[in-house]
Amino acid sequence: MDLNNTGESSVHSDSIMHSSSRRSISSYHSRTSAANSVREVNFGDLGSRAQTYGSKSAESEGFGTSRKEINDEDARLIYINDPAKTNEKYEFSSNSIRTSKYSIITFVPRNLFEQFHRVAYIYFLAIAILNQLPQLAVFGRGASILPLAFVLFVSAIKDAYEDWRRHRSDKVENSRLASVLVNGQFQMKQWKHIQVGEIIKVTSNQTLPCDIVLLSTSDSTGVAYVQTINLDGESNLKSRYAKQETLSVNPEKENIGGTIKCEKPNRNIYGFQANMEVDGKKMSLGPSNIILRGCELKNTDWVIGVAVYTGRETKAMLNSSGSPSKRSRLETQMNREIILLSLFLVALCTIVSTLFGVWLARHKSELNTLPYYRKKTYADGHEEDYNYSGWALEIFFTFLMSVIVFQIMIPISLYISMEIVRVGQAYFMIRDPNMYAENSHSRFQCRALNINEDLGQIKYVFSDKTGTLTENKMEFKCASIYGVDYSNEAASEQAEQVGYSVQVDGQALRPKMKVKADPELQRMAESGKETHEGRQIHDFFLALAACNTIVPILMDSDEPTVRLIDYQGESPDEQALVYAAAAYGFMLIERTSGHIVIDVQGERQRFDVLGLHEFDSDRKRMSVILGCPDKSVKVFAKGADTAMFGVINKSLNLDVISATEAHLHKYSSLGLRTLVIGMRELNGAEFEQWQSSYEAASTALLGRAAKLRRVASNVEKNLSTLGASGIEDKLQEGVPETIESLRLAGIKVWVLTGDKQETAISIGYSSKLVTSEMTQIIINSSSKESCRRRLQEALDLSRNRTMGSSPIALIIDGTSLVYVLDSELEEELFLLASDCAVVLCCRVAPLQKAGIVALIKNRTDDMTLAIGDGANDVSMIQVADVGVGISGQEGRQAVMASDFAMGQFRFLAPLLFVHGHWNYQRMGYMILYNFYRNAVFVFLLFWYTLFTDYTLTTAITDWSSMLYSVIYSSLPTIVVGILDKDLSRTTLLKYPQLYGAGQREECYNPKLFWITMIDTLWQSIVLYFIPLAAYWKTIVDGSSLGDLWTLAVVILVNLHLAMDIIRWNWIIHAVIWGSIIATIICVIIIDAIPILPGYWAVFHVMSTGPFWLCLLAVPIAAMIPRFIVKVSTQYFCPGDIQIAREAEKFGSWNIQGGGGGIEMIPTSNFLQRQ
Amino acid sequence: MNQKGGTSSAGNGGSKSSSSAANRNSKKPKYSRFTQQELPACKPILTPGWVISAFIAVGVVFIPVGLASLSASERVVEIAYRYDRTCVPPDYRKNLVAYIQSTETNKTCLLNLTVPKQMKHPVYIYYHLDNFYQNHRRYVKSRSDKQLRSREYERDTSSCAPEATLGNAPIVPCGLVAWSLFNDTYQFSVNDKSLKVSKKDIAWKSDQKRKFGSDVYPKNFQIGGLIGGAKLNSSIPLSEQVDLIVWMRTAALPTFRKLFGKIEVDLEANQTISVVIQNNYNTYSFGGKKKLVLSTTSWTGGKNDFLGIAYLTVGGLCLFLAISFILVYVFKPRPLGDPSYLSWNRNSAVQMN
Repeated sequence: MDLNNTGESSVHSDSIMHSSSRRSISSYHSRTSAANSVREVNFGDLGSRAQTYGSKSAESEGFGTSRKEINDEDARLIYINDPAKTNEKYEFSSNSIRTSKYSIITFVPRNLFEQFHRVAYIYFLAIAILNQLPQLAVFGRGASILPLAFVLFVSAIKDAYEDWRRHRSDKVENSRLASVLVNGQFQMKQWKHIQVGEIIKVTSNQTLPCDIVLLSTSDSTGVAYVQTINLDGESNLKSRYAKQETLSVNPEKENIGGTIKCEKPNRNIYGFQANMEVDGKKMSLGPSNIILRGCELKNTDWVIGVAVYTGRETKAMLNSSGSPSKRSRLETQMNREIILLSLFLVALCTIVSTLFGVWLARHKSELNTLPYYRKKTYADGHEEDYNYSGWALEIFFTFLMSVIVFQIMIPISLYISMEIVRVGQAYFMIRDPNMYAENSHSRFQCRALNINEDLGQIKYVFSDKTGTLTENKMEFKCASIYGVDYSNEAASEQAEQVGYSVQVDGQALRPKMKVKADPELQRMAESGKETHEGRQIHDFFLALAACNTIVPILMDSDEPTVRLIDYQGESPDEQALVYAAAAYGFMLIERTSGHIVIDVQGERQRFDVLGLHEFDSDRKRMSVILGCPDKSVKVFAKGADTAMFGVINKSLNLDVISATEAHLHKYSSLGLRTLVIGMRELNGAEFEQWQSSYEAASTALLGRAAKLRRVASNVEKNLSTLGASGIEDKLQEGVPETIESLRLAGIKVWVLTGDKQETAISIGYSSKLVTSEMTQIIINSSSKESCRRRLQEALDLSRNRTMGSSPIALIIDGTSLVYVLDSELEEELFLLASDCAVVLCCRVAPLQKAGIVALIKNRTDDMTLAIGDGANDVSMIQVADVGVGISGQEGRQAVMASDFAMGQFRFLAPLLFVHGHWNYQRMGYMILYNFYRNAVFVFLLFWYTLFTDYTLTTAITDWSSMLYSVIYSSLPTIVVGILDKDLSRTTLLKYPQLYGAGQREECYNPKLFWITMIDTLWQSIVLYFIPLAAYWKTIVDGSSLGDLWTLAVVILVNLHLAMDIIRWNWIIHAVIWGSIIATIICVIIIDAIPILPGYWAVFHVMSTGPFWLCLLAVPIAAMIPRFIVKVSTQYFCPGDIQIAREAEKFGSWNIQGGGGGIEMIPTSNFLQRQ
Repeated sequence: MNQKGGTSSAGNGGSKSSSSAANRNSKKPKYSRFTQQELPACKPILTPGWVISAFIAVGVVFIPVGLASLSASERVVEIAYRYDRTCVPPDYRKNLVAYIQSTETNKTCLLNLTVPKQMKHPVYIYYHLDNFYQNHRRYVKSRSDKQLRSREYERDTSSCAPEATLGNAPIVPCGLVAWSLFNDTYQFSVNDKSLKVSKKDIAWKSDQKRKFGSDVYPKNFQIGGLIGGAKLNSSIPLSEQVDLIVWMRTAALPTFRKLFGKIEVDLEANQTISVVIQNNYNTYSFGGKKKLVLSTTSWTGGKNDFLGIAYLTVGGLCLFLAISFILVYVFKPRPLGDPSYLSWNRNSAVQMN
């Protein structure tokens, strides 16, 4: 049998044998083939995404490279126990880490440099610099620099504080102690002084100070167990191995010498390649020989190793980068409008400079003596031009000056406000107890701070299955043993199971987790091996207990006489199987590298583990060769059904095989994950042959992995069936309800899973994704032609549907996707998929997941959200517009790549419907309001310019112009952007349809922009011309009128905001009225400075009647059109939001009316507190 | 199964995990009305009742205010007379600039104004300039507020060009604004009895006290190559030079008035006031207009109907809107919060049909 059948391998690279494909990729692979894992989980390397999503050959070519020669220029050479020599040639970085960015000296320049990465600040700066030129000095120098300086200063303070905290934690981290070999003795040394090449000893429960290559461990076989929770979040133990050749080394007694040649530091935490030479012996090192910084040593007394990567070159540090930055849809649209605004700006400036040019031409002859122009000066006794550079330059200067004066037409402050608002929104999202996962103690996390509002516009959700829809807590449900189905349905009715336990030295040993056991099967298992049936059952459970890589760990329990066994392992499926075996009396008690001890029905038995063929994604099975107490040698194998039936001897017990197949079908249609277990007894000759080839292969220097694989496939054949197991992957709480409400909200949910078709469909049913009235279209073709045909048929089917016929569920598998993605069939799949209510993709590889997301993203404008929990979801999370990571059981890679992370799938409902909706609505309004707020001020200045001979004098003082967007009107919009909410959480969750407002872009669109701009124009006209007409032909001076305009515009924009506020709480009251009061105070302060021309003006103007009449008339006259439009829209064509608001207020939610038959969803899950 | 807390990044190694273990139990966000965004709040909705009452309220306030303001403006008596043309002798009508620049010509001009209605004292005397851009950038910047304020800053003339220095000596007060000081004068008499023009309180008290120094005396003023306007008595400190102070409060708009003085007696209707004008100020070179204005005042200032009319318009409009909305609500009522208006209910209703 050709196991290198690559055609199948990549497509099925996800396996069902292990809990999850991600795990199999991330850790299992890496042990067998470093090259593979480099390819697959290179999640850090965002740049190199030249993927072909349907790639077929990703897997196979990597084999055989397990001992690749490392080029000298790509390698670092380490002399063991000789740090001086190691560091001689190249200065490797020290082990002190620096997460802080600045030192006291570099703070100012570096911080400024970083801050000026923002375009907004550069614009600010350019304007401020222009203003410093004497010809263009429109504003006072101080006034023009102040806002920028203020913003820079505040950000700098914030950065400095954050950096100080980082300095502090760095210091703590760097001064931790580790035991290092110095002059033949282990001494305590601070972490920061550890050098590459030094020998380090780490004892149990200590954290690794740097990346070390193992030399020896307390275990005689060189195994060490580590917990990598700080690295990838996986809490289970992983085993690492010291090389046989170095096991006996005791560096305290003898001087050890040698070299390690390893690759340059890189961020791949699952890959490592090196060659070690000790005492003339050469050996190759792989990822299983290195322990990384941040790991914790467990279950092993001590390890000794050589530091290879230190400090910032450790893999943990290289991986601690932020998530990629995305830009929100709203912001992209906003930038489009900002371009329009800059065109307005140019237009205004052109108008002003043109008119100025015309004026200059018409008054050319008068300029010399014009009292308010006076081109001529006689200051130095002779006649010359004063401050005049010819008409062309004058016009040009006027243009530049008008840019300076009208600068806030481009609402630069908006960018800063948006950042503050997003931080505020994130604060509320994080603090939402409804999105707190009790079982994993994880809060919601906002990792990307710039796409909050995208959450309100999602149209597609791409979800992973395992760990996302399901809990990824495996539970052994049923077994089929020798053709007999033992489904413990009866057991589930029994109330509480007493866990099985054994007595050892007066103490009871009990598995940590209890499993519901089938009493019938339990009784039969106890009855022993007498019957044929009994023997089969015995072997079956023995296989479950033995054929795995689980490490039992004894723990103390609350009761003194009872100790608990915790089964630690990399695969939850294996854990579930071992717990199940324990419940049926086959309790795994001890594992060393040479043997395991299993308590079989109260009798301790020792099995020698002669060999272990670990899982790999080609074989999709694992096997163990056991030397049993009765001196027989047996091979136990377990694996995916497809992989196992290939190696099972079909001539034996055909009935059993067919019965097992039937049971497998039944299990998977129940949504269970299935494994087939097989066994064979080896006779002496076979064993000899296997042993010699196994030893040869495992000591091979070249192509070890491939050789081992060949040995494995030679022994894994002609197996007899023992049976099959069904493991339930439980649905997470609230998943069906969430999916139902997502659908009500008009969001399409696609499930992308590595599971097989039947499992995927059954999960689809149980999660209410697929319902029985749906028409299922299943595409699982094995050639491009048949794929094309199926697609065409399906398209015809979907096109010929009449209104009201049943919705379509599309189920497509990874093999077909290979032919579809990156080919001309993509378009057809897209057309078909967009017609379907549900799309289920099964057996998909990680890159295919990304390909499917890209399929939608590239063809539509719809927002996509990808949610997943494992390393294989990383690519899809990064491709989607919004990536959500589930911080669950499968490590942190998905979380690290995500924009938002949360504990459970059901939090998607509050995240999208409540926070997403609010964020979108708030941000959309805020952008429009900021456009209006700045433009109305610019227009006000513009109108005045027309009355100053186009010379850009401002009646409003420099300081007020600058403070306008900083103090006078900035806080209310920020607070409203954080706090205002159109509808309550209850309503939004109850009626997911309200989410449509974001999908339809109701809060921000070009139409609203233009309406806002027309409104702005009208308001600015009222604002300018009412005071102008009231004070025409009077003795009013510029400063007084300027103060009137300042107060009027601030009151107007704040009242405008007040009119649109939906919920008034005390904070909003405080900022709105507070801003107006602050403005009055500022104006008074500015007018109390005697050397400014406007000294005392505000008091004089306040004592005149028209001042108060204007102040009252301006806001009301300005807002009447807006008010009319608002009221009329709300009354004549109310949106859903408006109706819902009214209903909320008047409590008339008895929604039976209308068209009737409006389905309501169970809401109790979401409405815990209301 | 043991699970991972959550937030520590891979970067900081072990130190974080120990702390996260410590507060593992306290990680659940505490409930507070603030963090839940459930602060007590009022959520006003624009119900028909509110809309109509708002319009009526605006109408009810604005119409009386408008009427009051109109009547106040109505009661103001104003005499305005443009004299820049009539005061030029017919020979010079073609050559106005030459006339005004010449030192030879007689600038005295006589006029008679008739009082249309009784004018209660104080009667304010304004000069009115048109098309004079006192808000021109070059002009407003050409002054030194420091110099005006105190003697110490006498040499602070950097902003005053082109009227900053004379040779090396600073001009006090410097700058174009002071240089172009208005220098027409008016003398009034009724029935050959001259009326006293009071200059008291025509400048702002605040300006006299703190903006124009009592120790600053005019120096080198108006003796350069170009004469812009009035000369100042160099023995009177700036704080007493009220005409200068008034002039230095630059006008907001190109058409403006400035206080010349006050007449502290009532003027009766049909009285004829004779005015002797010294027509010195050159507005001819740029086509500006000069007017003499006598006016009483009211709480809305001078004679200006605009605000009254604006208030009446807005108030009227609001009453009209109130009525139209009442009609709309009566003839086309929409129950508030009726779920059948929700888009998804509307759609299903359509499908049912």
